[in-house]
Amino acid sequence: MIKLERTATALPAHGWQLLPLRFHRLDADSIVLTNLVGEHVFVTPGELSAVVDGTCADQDLLARLRAAHLIQVPGETLPAELLAIKLRTRMRRLPDSTGLHIFVVTLRCEHTCRYCQVSRQSAAKNEFDMTEETARRALELAFRSPSPQLKIEFQGGEPLLNFPLIRWITAEANRMNSEHGKDLAFVIATNLVLLDEEILSFCAEEQIHISTSLDGPQDLHNGNRRRPGRDSWQQAVAGLRQVQERLGADRVSALMTTTQASLGRAGEIIDTYAGLGLRGVFLRPISPYGFALRSRGGANYDVGRWLEFYTDGLDRIVELNRQGVPMMEIYASIIAKKMLTNADPSYVDLTSPAGIGIGALVYNYDGDIYASDEGRMLAEMGDRTFRLGTVHGSSYADIMLSDALLNPLTESITLSAPMCATCAFEPYCGADPVFHHATMGDFTGHKALSAFCQRNMGATPWS
Amino acid sequence: MSPADGVPGAGGEAAGVGGLDAAEITLAFDQATVDLDALQRAAYAVAAEMTVDIRVCGADYACTLFPRMRDATDEELRHRFRTEVNDQILRARIAKETEPLRNLVFALAFSRTGLVDGEAEGPV
Repeated sequence: MIKLERTATALPAHGWQLLPLRFHRLDADSIVLTNLVGEHVFVTPGELSAVVDGTCADQDLLARLRAAHLIQVPGETLPAELLAIKLRTRMRRLPDSTGLHIFVVTLRCEHTCRYCQVSRQSAAKNEFDMTEETARRALELAFRSPSPQLKIEFQGGEPLLNFPLIRWITAEANRMNSEHGKDLAFVIATNLVLLDEEILSFCAEEQIHISTSLDGPQDLHNGNRRRPGRDSWQQAVAGLRQVQERLGADRVSALMTTTQASLGRAGEIIDTYAGLGLRGVFLRPISPYGFALRSRGGANYDVGRWLEFYTDGLDRIVELNRQGVPMMEIYASIIAKKMLTNADPSYVDLTSPAGIGIGALVYNYDGDIYASDEGRMLAEMGDRTFRLGTVHGSSYADIMLSDALLNPLTESITLSAPMCATCAFEPYCGADPVFHHATMGDFTGHKALSAFCQRNMGATPWS
Repeated sequence: MSPADGVPGAGGEAAGVGGLDAAEITLAFDQATVDLDALQRAAYAVAAEMTVDIRVCGADYACTLFPRMRDATDEELRHRFRTEVNDQILRARIAKETEPLRNLVFALAFSRTGLVDGEAEGPV
C-alpha cells in the first residue's frame, strides 16, 4: 500500500519572496490577500506584517500562501509560469471578440414601465421597426467577429411586436453560419405578453432561449411594469409556465430591476422566483441611464440601501439552499466564479478591459451601432458618446478601431486605474466606462466616489 | 514595527506645526519616512469621507482633513487617514518588491498570443 506523506519543507525566516499581491481589510482582524488572478488567502494584520517582513514562522500559513501563488521560494520558476497561464486563460476572450450581438428589432412596446430606459414607442408606429436591409447589414458585421460563439439577442421595445423580422434574422443567420460554422445561439428578451403557439413552436424548433422580466410579487411587478389591464405579472407568469412546459425549465430565465418599492422585499421576490420554478435571480440595481432617471422611475435610493436589499436577498437564498431549494443569485455567482476559477464569466459589466464592443455590440432599429445597451440608452437621452457607427456605411474596422470604442476601453482598464490597480478585488471586478461616463463625466471615474465601486466593494465580500 | 501596523514617526498630531489653525484636524507625517505619493493615494482613497489638504511644513507633510459629513469624531478621522496612509505605504512596498515578477508574469502571459504586431490575425 502506497502511503502518501506530507513532505513540504519548512520555510526558514526570509526563505520566501512575495509574488504580486494586493490586500483589503475586511475588518479589524481580517485581511484578504489576492494574487494577479484572484486566488486568495485570509490573514490577520499581524500575519500580513510577518509575511511581508519575512519573519512568519507559521508553516501552515506559508504553505497556504505558497499554494495560492502569493509567495514563492526564491529561484522557483513554476509559480510565475502557472500565474501566466491562468492570466492568459482569463484574458482569452480578448482575441475572440465579440460574442454577443444585440438586435433592437423595434422600439415599439405595449408596456409603459416606470423604469424603462429607452424611448419606447406606441405599438402602432412601424417606423421604429428594424428593416430586413438593416438586419442583413448588421448580420454581416456580426459574422465578422472572430468569436467562435455568436449569441444573437433580440431586444426592444418588445421584440415580439416585430416577430416576422426575428424569424427572418434567425433564418438568415443560420444560412450565413453554414459558411462560418460558429456556435450560434439566439435569445429573445421579451415580456411574454405576445407569446403564442406560433412563437413557442418557432422557439422550440430554433432552440431559442427566453429572457423575461419579473420584478417579484404581483403587486410589485404590476406597480413597476404598467400596461393596459394592469396584468403584466399575470401575463408574464402564464408565459413563463408555457415556456417551461414547452421548451424546458432551463430555457427561460428572468431578470428583476430593483426600484425603491423593492427595498425591504428581497425575501418575497426570491420566494416568488422559487415558487415559479426559477433557479436564479439577479438582484439588479436600477440603471442610471436613459429614462430610468426620471423622478418617477424608481431610482431614488443609494448604494447603501441597495446593499441592504442585496444582502437580505443572499441571506434568504442561503436559507432556501439549506432547505434543499435550488436558487442562486446571478451577480454573486459571477463574482464567485471569478474568485474560485480561472474562467471568465464574460459578464460585460465585470470585465477589464471593459466588455463594451469587445464583449457586446448593439444594432439599433435604425442601423446605428452602439458599444453596449447602456450606450444606446444614453443616446436616447441625447448623449451619443458610445455610438460606434452605422450598419449603413461603417466597416467592421471603422467600428472596432473607432475612438468612440478605443478611448473608453483604454482609459478605463482597471490594472492602471487609480485605486483599482491596488485593489484586492480587482480580479473580481471590472471597468465600466459607460456607467462612469454617465454618472461622473469621464470613462475612469473617481472610484472613491463611484457608486459602481461602492456596490462592488460592498457585494464582493458577501459573494 | 512594520508598515502594516504603523510607520515610525508618521501621523503625529500637528501641534507646533507653524501656520495651522488649532481648530483644524491636522496630521503631520515625517518626510523622511512617508512618501508624498502615499499621502496623495490615501487622500484619493478617502475622498468619499473627507478631502485632504497636503502642505510641506518644515520636515513634515502637514495633512489637514476636511470631513464631508460630521458623523465621525476628529480622532476617528485621524485614525482613518493614518490607517489608509499606512496601507498605501505597504502597498507601495509590496509593489516595488514584486514588480520584476509581475512584469515576468505578464510577459509570459501575453507572449505567443497573436496580439503582438505582426502576429495579429484579423478582426479588422
